[in-house]
Order: sequence, then C-alpha cells, then structure tokens
Amino acid sequence: MNNTPIIKTTGLSYHYAKNVQTLFNVDLQVDRGSIYGFLGPNGSGKTTTLSLLLGLLRNQQGSIEIFGQHLHANRVGILKKIGSLIESPSLYGHLTAKENLEVYRAVYGASKERIAEVLNIVRLDDTGKKIVKKFSLGMKQRLSIALALLPNPELLVLDEPSNGLDPSGIIELRQLIRTLNIDHGMTIVISSHLLSEVEKMVTHLGIIYKGKMLFQGSLPELHLFQRKGSRLLIDTSDNRIAMELLQEHSPDWTGGSISLPFRDSKQTASINRLLVQNQLDVHLLQPKENDLEQLFIDLTSDHS
Amino acid sequence: MNLLISLRGELLKTKRTASIYLTIIAAAFGPLMTMLELLLDGFDGEDQATILEQLFTSKFQMTGLMIFPFFIMLICTLLPQIEYKNNAWKQVLTSPQTKANVFMAKFINVQLLILVFLVANQLLMFVGAVVLHVLHPALHVLNQPIDGKRVFAILVNNYAALLAICCIQFWLGIRFRNFIVPLAVGFACWLAGTILGMNFPLGFAKYYPYAFHMYPNFSQYKAVVPAIAWTSLGYSVLFLVLGYLDFRRRRMDT
Repeated sequence: MNNTPIIKTTGLSYHYAKNVQTLFNVDLQVDRGSIYGFLGPNGSGKTTTLSLLLGLLRNQQGSIEIFGQHLHANRVGILKKIGSLIESPSLYGHLTAKENLEVYRAVYGASKERIAEVLNIVRLDDTGKKIVKKFSLGMKQRLSIALALLPNPELLVLDEPSNGLDPSGIIELRQLIRTLNIDHGMTIVISSHLLSEVEKMVTHLGIIYKGKMLFQGSLPELHLFQRKGSRLLIDTSDNRIAMELLQEHSPDWTGGSISLPFRDSKQTASINRLLVQNQLDVHLLQPKENDLEQLFIDLTSDHS
Repeated sequence: MNLLISLRGELLKTKRTASIYLTIIAAAFGPLMTMLELLLDGFDGEDQATILEQLFTSKFQMTGLMIFPFFIMLICTLLPQIEYKNNAWKQVLTSPQTKANVFMAKFINVQLLILVFLVANQLLMFVGAVVLHVLHPALHVLNQPIDGKRVFAILVNNYAALLAICCIQFWLGIRFRNFIVPLAVGFACWLAGTILGMNFPLGFAKYYPYAFHMYPNFSQYKAVVPAIAWTSLGYSVLFLVLGYLDFRRRRMDT
C-alpha cells in the first residue's frame, strides 16, 4: 500500500492582486483512499486552492505534489488521473449528454463503453437526444460528475458539487461518493461551505478560513478538537467565591454563569463536590458540548 | 497525435453550432447574388462566351473583398465563444491537454471551416453555372472553357492575403469574453484598410494586414500579390505566436 499522500501542498500562497492575499501558507494533505472534506465559508479560498491543484491558476508560492509528483513537472500526466468539477457545470449546451462526454473521451483515453457506464452511474442514460441546454440544474450537475468520472480517475475533485441539487439529489450524491470511494477506490476531495453536508460522508476534514487552514485531520481528531472546545457552565449561590475555588480550571465569567473548559464527567462530579463542600448552592452545572456545526462556526468566527 | 485528439474534441464541439450554419450561409451569399445579378440584369454580349470563367474569377471579387473577410472575423469570434458561452474553459484547461494543443486545435478548426467555406462557395457557384446552363441552354455555359489554375490561384491568393487578419482575429476572439469587441475592432480595421487600399494601394496599405484583401481581387495589383502573400504569412506567424503566449499567460476560466 502506497502511503504517499495523494495530494500534498507545502506553503501554498496566492494573491489575485497586489496586497490582496487570498491564500496563506496552506499545507494540505490528502491521503490515498480518503474522502477529504474541504470546508470553509464562501470566499475563504477553497476554489482558489482547488484551482491551483488542477493547474487552472499559476502557482505563485509553495509547492504542489499530486501522486508524489510535482504538478508542473508532469501536469498532463497527472491530470489524466484526475476527474474534476469546479463550481458550476462546464458543459456544451448545444450537445447531448453523450456528445459532451464524447468531446473528452479520447482526451482522457477512455473507451466508448465508459460513456455508457458513467451515464448509468449518474442515471442519465435515458436522456437520448435531449440537448444539455434543456437539462435541469441537477441533471447538469450530475452530467458534470459523469464527465469527472470519465477517466475512471484515481482522484476526484468536486468543488461544491451539491450546488443546485435538491435534498434527494444531495442524498444521492452522498451515496454516489461513498460508492466511488469504497467500491472503486477513488480518493475524493469535496469542498463545501456547509459542514452538515459533508460530515456524514468524509473521513478527513480541512477547514479553511480567510485563506488560512484552521484545522486538518481525521474525523476522530476533529471530535477530539471539538471536545477541547466544549465548556462547563456553572452557576452558584456565590459565583465570586466559586471563581476563586475553581482557579485551577481557568474559569471565565460569561455574564450570568461561570464557564470553564470541559474535560469529562469525572471533572464535573469533582467540581460539584468542591462547590458543595464549600457551602455553595449549585444552581447550574451543565456541560455545553460543541456540535461540529457550532465548532465550524466558532473556528471561523474566532479568526475573523 | 495528441494534437489530433484535441482537434477531434474541437470538431465535435462545433456540431450544431452557429459556426456551421454561418459557413454555409456565407459561402452561398456570393453565388446567390451573382445568380440574381445574371438572371435579372442579363448578360453583356461580349461576355457570353466566358460566363463560366467569370463566375469563378471576376464574380469572386465581391466574396473576396467583403464576404470572406467578414466570414473570417465572425468565425474567429464564434469558435472561441463556444467555451465562454458554456463556461467551459475550466473544463478544457483541467483536461489532460497542453495549452499549446488546445490553442492550435482551435486554430486548425478555424482553418478547416475556412476551407469548407471556400469549397462550398465554389460548389455553389458551380450549381449556379448548372442553373444558367439549364435556363439558357443557348449559352452552353457548362461547355465553356475554364482556366482551373487561375481559379485555384485566386482562391489561394485570397486565403494567403487574409491569413494575417485571421490570426489577429483569432487572437482577439480567444482573448475577449465579449464577442462584440473583436467584431468591432475587425470591422473598423477592415473599413480603414479598404479606404487605405483604395487611396494608397502601393503605399502603407502594403503593410497593413486589413488592406490585404484588396490585392488579389484587382488585376492591376497582380504584380504585388506574391509580396502581399508573404507579408501576410509573416504577420500570421507573428500574431499566432503572440496570441499563444497571451493565451498561455492568461486566466481563461473567468
């Protein structure tokens, strides 16, 4: 099993205009076989990063390695093994679904049979002579995914693929991504601005905000990180004395209650014991765990 | 081989586009006008013996001076518009093709459509000759002699003279998302070139590519046509290289 990351960027920085830096030293690492959720609010630098990875933008600073090779040393060879969908669908409206795929078939060295296969995967095999201009946005999005799948890629890069999809379409997309990852062994990078959209399918996450990577790791690592962000809220009959008693836990006064970093239930019990032993009535003793969505909001708002 | 694969993709994209219809309509315009002129205005007595030759030589003048340059401007604009209109540049540029292949495949596609234009124009003119032969059997149009070499030379000279503006317009067409810009620039330059060519044919106009269409279509400039063709070829190489360097440097996905 090759352990070389399928994507590795080091110190990736980019600016569109002078003095307007878009990316700051982004170190991205995507392991082979993973589904990597690349998260960040709109305008955080996701598309810029993905555009750099695909060679759409010229690399200004830092290095990009894909499949263990420098991108610009073998751009065409690397792109042969990548399927991509960047933002909105890039399809020819005057052609049919099949014709759109035929335009790129030889470029990717795919067989004629592969066209029928990928159309079947995205359930567009019955569109016949209907031209793409007449497709719904969801159908266009699915055809774009079929196009990305055409080379039977080792790496699939999907930038906001659920844009324009209805809820059932999003669920189908999620299932498709899991199938491609598990059954076809594809490594998938999927960007989104909604954590809830990707947290159910990804194995790894990268969170980017204002061009800086705030978090990168596996889902368990994120959960650990999430626990670290959880707080224990306390309210007693005399909060001033309680603050003094709890000094070793680095408490904060949050206007109405004391807040301190939450570790586990043993910590909660020991704090309760301490407060009661010091004749304080405990009115509130509540762990407030961050859910991932809250963590995402906290992470991205803390750095704004 | 890779260039051929890229060209195949470009040809497939052209299917059902306005470019194909434009090529056929533009090619038909000259023959149609010529037929209307001959059928409605009749023939001069002394020209009746050389109608077939005239159809492919002097009657090509209108096409060479106006239709052919306009067709080149339009086709050089419409073909790159396929990518802009469909927001498809990013898909093209993330596919495993070199930028050089993408650029050249598009350029060759333009040249192929120009070839289709010229062939269709000649075929439709021949259809016109058949119509004249049928409507006026006494003229024996199809039995008249024709100098094939001369006809071929006219076509080659017109193509060579216009190759320079083809390369300039191709660059503009690929560079600007707004298709009005290359068309407006092309039309203004053509108008200036036509005026320049009419007033100073042997002066600065000899170096101004948008005036080159004048030379192969007037017999009095026959002597300078080879020089014009070579100058046009030189400009073509220059603007094709400049266009490619610009294409390679620019972000095309926005």
